[in-house]
Amino acid sequence: MKLLIVEDDRSLSRSIYDYLKMEGHICEVALTFTDATQKVAINKYDCIILDIGLPDGNGLDLIREMKANRLTGGILILSAKSSLDDKLVGLNIGADDYLTKPFHFAELNARINSIYRRNNFLGLNEITFNEIRINTEDNQVYVNEKLLILTKKEYDLLLFFMANRNRIITKESIVEHLWGDNVILTDSFDFVYTHVKNLRKKIVAAEGSNYIKCIYGFGYKFIDI
Amino acid sequence: MKLLNKSAFYYLPLSLLVMVVGGALLYLTIKKVIYKQIDNSLITEKTIIEDQIKQSDTIPDFEAALGHQIEVKLMNYHLRSYQAIKDTDIYDPKTDSFMPFRYLFYSGNTNEKKGFVITIFRTISEKNELLQDIGLYLFFLFFSLLLISILINYLIARNLWRPFYDSVKIAGRFDIQSDTPLNLPGTDINEFNQLNEIFDNMTRKMRDDYLNLKEFSENASHEIQTPLAVIRSKTDLLMQQKNLKKDSINLVKSINEATTRLFKLNQGLLLISKISNQVFHEKKIVSLKRIVENGLENYKEIMELKNIRISIDGKDEALVEMNEVLAEVLISNLLSNAVRFNINGGFIKCHIDNMFLTLTNTGLSMTNNPEDLFRRFHKNSENPQSVGLGLSIVRKITESYGMLITYTCRDNIHELKLRYR
Repeated sequence: MKLLIVEDDRSLSRSIYDYLKMEGHICEVALTFTDATQKVAINKYDCIILDIGLPDGNGLDLIREMKANRLTGGILILSAKSSLDDKLVGLNIGADDYLTKPFHFAELNARINSIYRRNNFLGLNEITFNEIRINTEDNQVYVNEKLLILTKKEYDLLLFFMANRNRIITKESIVEHLWGDNVILTDSFDFVYTHVKNLRKKIVAAEGSNYIKCIYGFGYKFIDI
Repeated sequence: MKLLNKSAFYYLPLSLLVMVVGGALLYLTIKKVIYKQIDNSLITEKTIIEDQIKQSDTIPDFEAALGHQIEVKLMNYHLRSYQAIKDTDIYDPKTDSFMPFRYLFYSGNTNEKKGFVITIFRTISEKNELLQDIGLYLFFLFFSLLLISILINYLIARNLWRPFYDSVKIAGRFDIQSDTPLNLPGTDINEFNQLNEIFDNMTRKMRDDYLNLKEFSENASHEIQTPLAVIRSKTDLLMQQKNLKKDSINLVKSINEATTRLFKLNQGLLLISKISNQVFHEKKIVSLKRIVENGLENYKEIMELKNIRISIDGKDEALVEMNEVLAEVLISNLLSNAVRFNINGGFIKCHIDNMFLTLTNTGLSMTNNPEDLFRRFHKNSENPQSVGLGLSIVRKITESYGMLITYTCRDNIHELKLRYR
């Protein structure tokens, strides 16, 4: 995937760059609005990670410009403001998703993947990993071609793991992913533990391998054995 | 005591004193004038009689008018010349009572050997009646004068103080959180204008400070987000590194936990300040029952795991006009508490009627003061991970919609009662 990171904070854009590169993406960074406009005009990106508050312009204007010039590519808004208005405006003028700072890389990664899947109709609504096959169209999971019955949360969790294969995923990021930002009090990780345990049990019961590994101190890792 | 009553309170006895003393003096003066007149006419009569006696040496013939008696006696010896005017009462057989009289006694001599005595009586009962009438009139006059002056004083004072009361009324309604500054009306009284100006300036300063502070805390919360994102991203990257030593893992873990806490804290404070700033102003009719049902769906698996029984009863949809996001935040905070602090094999009951939404759940015993639960940063000793903002967010939301939430706990059954209407 070819990605453009538009973020004026050098340290943060560097981190995002490093992480996404580690995921195997081709990344470019634009630190200013002007820089971003130029890059967007020249290159074609699969997804643009866009900070709204830029020193020389509003990120929302970049979306408007892109849409006016019929430029394709997914757009993920990254903002310090979780204000509802910004979110609605952003999504209305054509952004694909909205992520509030500070975010977990696992979450960012999952969102980028989901935007990419939605924007590309090349039979990519299926994720296959060894014996596990997920159809994102009708939300069905198959293990060894046998249908696996999962609850909504377990399904979301599996997809989240899939998007972040071979990466450590913290319990915090799972909580935020499954319950959203608004559930401030769900900081008890028993919930996560239970869901992970159940998901693992179901996959193993369907004669799948145990891919979910517990990482001491941090959380979990979905690894190919 | 009200100012107007207070001025009357001082005014009344003072004016009463002035009027009583003044009235008495006036009465006495009039009385003196009348007596002087009587005395003068007595002296005039006496002089006429004396002249006649001196000329004719005989007692002149007087026709004594009613209440007007003159007695003249001639003596054959010399008398000391003497004159006196006095009051006396004389028995009147007609009315069987004593009547007041003024009399003049005079003794003199026509020549060396012959003296005479003149006594002239004059009734003063009419004069006394006149005096009484005058006194009565004076009393009424002064009394009505007093009443009128008090009334006028009251009316004038009320009119004069009206701008003051208007200002007090407006200032009383002043709300530092409202968008409008306190604008006190101008008056034609310099002192009040001065006062209003001071008030205006003071409240403007207060509002400015408040807005500044509000803006500052908002900006601070926003500006913290980016550095937080940097810290989080760096720890994320650090975590992904292979061959981390156990010590380093623990360090990163602690950093990660602290970052999460800071993030939650910041998020909660931002939410509270946003509710105060009425960022969530879009309202629509939402069904609290539906939100509760959806919210419970979110915790379905966990409740199954904990063997928590759920029941929702009540036909009422609990429709309220409020912001949908806030309604969801409100309910999800309440539900997550009910789930989190529940015990294995417990229950959650939700009862909805046309006034209250009651959430009852089993749990551990609570030693804390129920009111403290709603305070900002209140910490439960058994759960140090919690940032202690959930219920204060709940309270903030309920306050901003004029709802009321109460908490009671009996025999380890916790009950949160929300009066939504």
